[in-house]
Amino acid sequence: MSGYKRVSGDAIEYEVFARKTRVEPLHQVGSVVAPDADLAMAYARATYDEERWCEMAIVRKEDVIHLWSPGQA
Amino acid sequence: MVAWTGVSLPDLVLSLADNKQMLGLRYAEWATRAPSLEADIAAAAMGLDDLGHSRVLYGCLEPLGADPRGTERESDAASLRNLPYFDEPWTEWSQFVAANAILDTAFTVMIEACVTGSVEVLQHRLRKMLMEERYHFLHGRSWLRSGIETGPLNRAWQEAIEWFGPPDGDTARLHREGKLSMGPAELRGRLEEQMETKAPQTEVDWKQWDAVRRRGRKGAIDAHTFGMLRGLEEKKYAPPTAAKQAAT
Repeated sequence: MSGYKRVSGDAIEYEVFARKTRVEPLHQVGSVVAPDADLAMAYARATYDEERWCEMAIVRKEDVIHLWSPGQA
Repeated sequence: MVAWTGVSLPDLVLSLADNKQMLGLRYAEWATRAPSLEADIAAAAMGLDDLGHSRVLYGCLEPLGADPRGTERESDAASLRNLPYFDEPWTEWSQFVAANAILDTAFTVMIEACVTGSVEVLQHRLRKMLMEERYHFLHGRSWLRSGIETGPLNRAWQEAIEWFGPPDGDTARLHREGKLSMGPAELRGRLEEQMETKAPQTEVDWKQWDAVRRRGRKGAIDAHTFGMLRGLEEKKYAPPTAAKQAAT
């Protein structure tokens, strides 16, 4: 691993969730890095435009509560 | 007092279309030069949005009953009704942010005035733009909060206020007629409300203001950009044999 860190300074990582139809659950489509939620919303909408999502949401990565990670179960 | 010049609603919509087109182009010019990858992508996305909006606006001209576009638009860059702010490509990120935060929002405020006005074709066709413009506003406001130089910011405010028009001119008349839900003072107030600040002190010489082009300064977009708009720049890159093949 190169030790490269995507997030630095006052930037915050946000996970991006979306779904195409109401019958499917929200799922993670990627992440964006921004100093605040406003810019994160603008970036998420611009970056993840490959589908006509019926819903999109962002969450600060640090607010996601992990129960367990791969290999820990 | 500035006399009413006879500028009509189609003239205003054409001005909005030309400015949206130029805003989209200038955004797109920064799609590889913004401070971060995400900002690059946002610049490209906003550019695409505004170019699309300009096409919708151009498409409204005929239903409004009078398309003001003449043949001079093919040869005279000064016939385009863009603000001076878009005459030259931006060289600093501050210019991008000021345009995004102030001018893009000013155009959106005018679109609101059209959507909540009495003209049906504008009510229906422009409504969706407001949803897309929300993200332009979030982008511009956030970058503005991080701090930019005051020069481009003050210039953007000045040109936005000029673009809204004089207190007793065409936008005031269109407001009285109900075609716009806001006149110049209300448009300025709405922009200040969105930006959560008063506009800087500005002096506008309405006697020098061009009511058709909605600008206080002479000038026009640069020759390279005008060539791109007309599709001529692409021909420079065509191989020499392409013309011969096309002819046979």
